[in-house]
Amino acid sequence: MIRQRNLWITLLLLWSLAPLLWQLYTSFCTHEALLQPLAEHNQRWTLDNYRQVLTANPPFWRYLLNSVIVGISSTGLTLLIAIPAAYSLSKVSQNVASAARLILLGAALFPYVLLFVALLELARSFNLGNNLLALSFPYAGLSMPLAVLLLLSAFRDLPSELEEAARLEGFDLWQRLRWVLIPLIGPATASTAILVFLFSWNEYPIALTWISRADLLTLPVAIARIAGSSVYSIPYGAYAAATVLGALPLLLLVLIFQRQIVSGLTQGAIKG
Amino acid sequence: MIQLLLVPAALLIALVFGIPLLRYSWLSFHADSVLTGLVAIPNHGANWLRLLHDQRFWQDTYQTARFATVSVSLELLLAIAIALLLDQRWRGRGVVRAISLLPWALPTTVMALGWRWIFNTPYGPIEQFTELIGLQPLNILSNPNITWLATVVGDVWKTTPFAALILLAGLQTIPNDLYEAFHLEGGHPRAALFQITLPLLQPYLLLSLLFRLAQAFGVFDLIQVMTGGGPAGSTESLALYAYLNAMRFLDFGYSATVMISGFLLLVIACLIAWLIIKQTSHWREALK
Repeated sequence: MIRQRNLWITLLLLWSLAPLLWQLYTSFCTHEALLQPLAEHNQRWTLDNYRQVLTANPPFWRYLLNSVIVGISSTGLTLLIAIPAAYSLSKVSQNVASAARLILLGAALFPYVLLFVALLELARSFNLGNNLLALSFPYAGLSMPLAVLLLLSAFRDLPSELEEAARLEGFDLWQRLRWVLIPLIGPATASTAILVFLFSWNEYPIALTWISRADLLTLPVAIARIAGSSVYSIPYGAYAAATVLGALPLLLLVLIFQRQIVSGLTQGAIKG
Repeated sequence: MIQLLLVPAALLIALVFGIPLLRYSWLSFHADSVLTGLVAIPNHGANWLRLLHDQRFWQDTYQTARFATVSVSLELLLAIAIALLLDQRWRGRGVVRAISLLPWALPTTVMALGWRWIFNTPYGPIEQFTELIGLQPLNILSNPNITWLATVVGDVWKTTPFAALILLAGLQTIPNDLYEAFHLEGGHPRAALFQITLPLLQPYLLLSLLFRLAQAFGVFDLIQVMTGGGPAGSTESLALYAYLNAMRFLDFGYSATVMISGFLLLVIACLIAWLIIKQTSHWREALK
């Protein structure tokens, strides 16, 4: 029984990691070793692929930095708007709240890829192209349904006596939110934040159409552009180095925040 | 007064979801392309008529439906297995759960590029292996009959963890007493899967099914980077076709028509999936 389980665990780990490990292996291989993996080579291992990616123009860390900027600004904007909205929805009548939740759920399920052409038109009419911070608007809008749903369920789990007591103490709305309620929904806020950050970090079609300047590309677009740049030669060593560098920050993020990610996703499932 | 706090969120959602849908509906009845100088001119449903006779649109619809059905079914089956595994208690479970989440957290384009290398002919590991055991090269990414299966692998790899987590959350809501009672009445552990676990998991299955179906229907990043829609257009999805219409052929009217019909087809697909699930639960009731 236990041996059987260990087999399944091994298979799960293999399935999740093998494609990534293959990239890791590729990224350290010389060009010759990639073309003839089974032959003997004078030099099999190299750091050239990483050197190539990191010294390209613009260097690879630039894309990481762009993605960090977009991720943080989108997450901040989302929370700034979603927390008050969720609080307000936790106070309205049952019927209104149910209707709102249905709409939010529908929007959260919507495949947002279908929206990007119209969003691009909006960007053009408000002159938001080639601006990293401007990406926060569509990202916050697209994350808003899930964020409000998660925070709403956190607000509803708080006992109403708490807020009542604070009100009797003479706290106004802002003070109650700032000193009583927001600290108490901390865990839900953290889950929401990490999910929104991951979404903004990974988003592709909107970043692809809104940003054209090479030094402003976010990581997913930069990777795709590397892929499209040379079809005939095989610079897969450099590709692999780029994917490893692109995957590392997320590896850290998932390991550090796995509890928040899991509780965010599962709260969304149970209560959404 | 408190309702005022809702206004920014409502405005942003309306701006990002509502306006595009209205704009598409309006544009789909207008010619708006290079030919009209990118000015929208009413064309009385010509876009929709063109859609009906557009071979490429129907080919892409078929491909998208095939891709979504196969990859979502595989994902759910795998996700059930993974969730059952992660629901048991064993040492190192947390680490394994974090690792199994990794594919989901990575940007789609990153691993789409990775898959291109893994499926590469003749240098990728799979073709190296077929050569080693003396088979003909499979030409995975240049044979129109099988390339779409490679994209299914990429999609299943990336999105199964998400579905598994949702199902895991569902499993943890099932009280242990139920299994104990079932065991005391002499039920076989394997029978418990079909008589307790899956029926109680149904809402979570439905939720992950709807969510995954919607995302798979809009598949874009993976296809664009991994195959570019090729070979011979065999992996082109509706979202990619709409993208090409707007960004390459600069035909915004027709692109909007494709987007709206993609959305309508998705609604129909969800209805069908929902009906099937309802039917099967009727059968289960009847069998009891």
